[in-house]
Amino acid sequence: MLFGMWDGVFFHLGPIPVDHLVVTEWAIIALVGIISFMATRKMQLVPSGLQNGFEAIILFTYDFFTQLMDEEHVAKKWAPLLTSFFLFILISNYSGLIPGAAHVEGFQPPTSNWNVTMTLALITFFSVHIAGFSEHGGHYLHHFVSPSVAMLPLNLVEEVAHPLSLTVRLFGNIFGEEMVLAFLLFLAPFIVPTAIMGLSMLLGAIQAVVFTLLSASYIGAAAGKGH
Amino acid sequence: MIRNRRFTSLVLLLAIFMVMGFAAFCMASSEGPAVPVPAPAGTTPAFGNWYVIGWSAVNFLILLALIYKFGYGPINAMLEERSATIEGSLKHAEEVKTEVEQMRKEMQANLQDSRKESQEIVARATKAAEDVKNEMIAKAQEDATNIKNKAHAEIVAATEQAKAQLKDSAVVLAISAAEKVLGRAINEDDHKRMVKDFVNEAGDLLC
Repeated sequence: MLFGMWDGVFFHLGPIPVDHLVVTEWAIIALVGIISFMATRKMQLVPSGLQNGFEAIILFTYDFFTQLMDEEHVAKKWAPLLTSFFLFILISNYSGLIPGAAHVEGFQPPTSNWNVTMTLALITFFSVHIAGFSEHGGHYLHHFVSPSVAMLPLNLVEEVAHPLSLTVRLFGNIFGEEMVLAFLLFLAPFIVPTAIMGLSMLLGAIQAVVFTLLSASYIGAAAGKGH
Repeated sequence: MIRNRRFTSLVLLLAIFMVMGFAAFCMASSEGPAVPVPAPAGTTPAFGNWYVIGWSAVNFLILLALIYKFGYGPINAMLEERSATIEGSLKHAEEVKTEVEQMRKEMQANLQDSRKESQEIVARATKAAEDVKNEMIAKAQEDATNIKNKAHAEIVAATEQAKAQLKDSAVVLAISAAEKVLGRAINEDDHKRMVKDFVNEAGDLLC
């Protein structure tokens, strides 16, 4: 059965339908969870092996987001969320390249569905405002009317445009890439899709980085000194 | 040029592959090229599937919790622990350094005291030795003087004794000689007086 990029209910959990992509999300959670658990199972003062790699990654995220957001405490507070975005999107994107993706029951790349990308964008949207309020309190609302009250509609449009652009960018890229691959597989099943798959590897990583960077910059802008 | 030619050949090859694949697909399908990824029957490919949104939100939050629980949480704790350990070690090292410095100062002071003490001991010993030497020299000198004096006295006494004996012998000899010359015995007292006078004169001449 082909269910492609569209929503397809795999089974029902009581009254709640569970789509194929939800099952893939569970697999992604399990993968990340198991690797994290293995890495930090036996923490040592002098790190080695997987723990060392994990520490390096986490310290890298702190440094990276601190440079991006200008404020270390904000970066440290939001780094877990942003890292989760990156890992979730990256693994979701790459899951589309695994043979059987969108053809095996319960295996559908989540980011090729815009309900998922919208969910991620909404989480960014709420995080931005939570960061803004937690850093500046009520004063955060001033940025909606800055530099003057006349700018309020434009500022509101901007606030809506952020999650919308995040949603459409990620969905469009990954969906497009998956469609190109699917068409190519039908047209020339051998060798030809390999080049596009190589490109997809790059595209998947770039989209994960872009989504994470934009989310970080939105959160950084809301929590930064500008407001 | 060669690169361009290779590139053109590759594109041509790809195009041939694609055309052949497409042709094969068209021939295989009786209904012509279909939508390769059709939506499954009975589902709505609509935007705004709240079940998917809900599930995705829950799943993402679970992922976030897992990453925090098994990633950031323990590693942050470990970084703090490591930082505390390093701080503690540095503090301990500083304490040890101070202690060592203090010990070094104490040792130097002790060394100086010991040196001073040893110098004093050497000085005392030298002085004592000097005293003993002086005392011994003085005693030796005294002994020598005593011995010399005693010897001198003995010599004087012996000389006197020898002189007296010589005088007595001379008296006896003189008397004997006078008796033989005079042929008669002279009065004892005269005799002794004469001899004594003679001996005294002769003694003065002899000695």
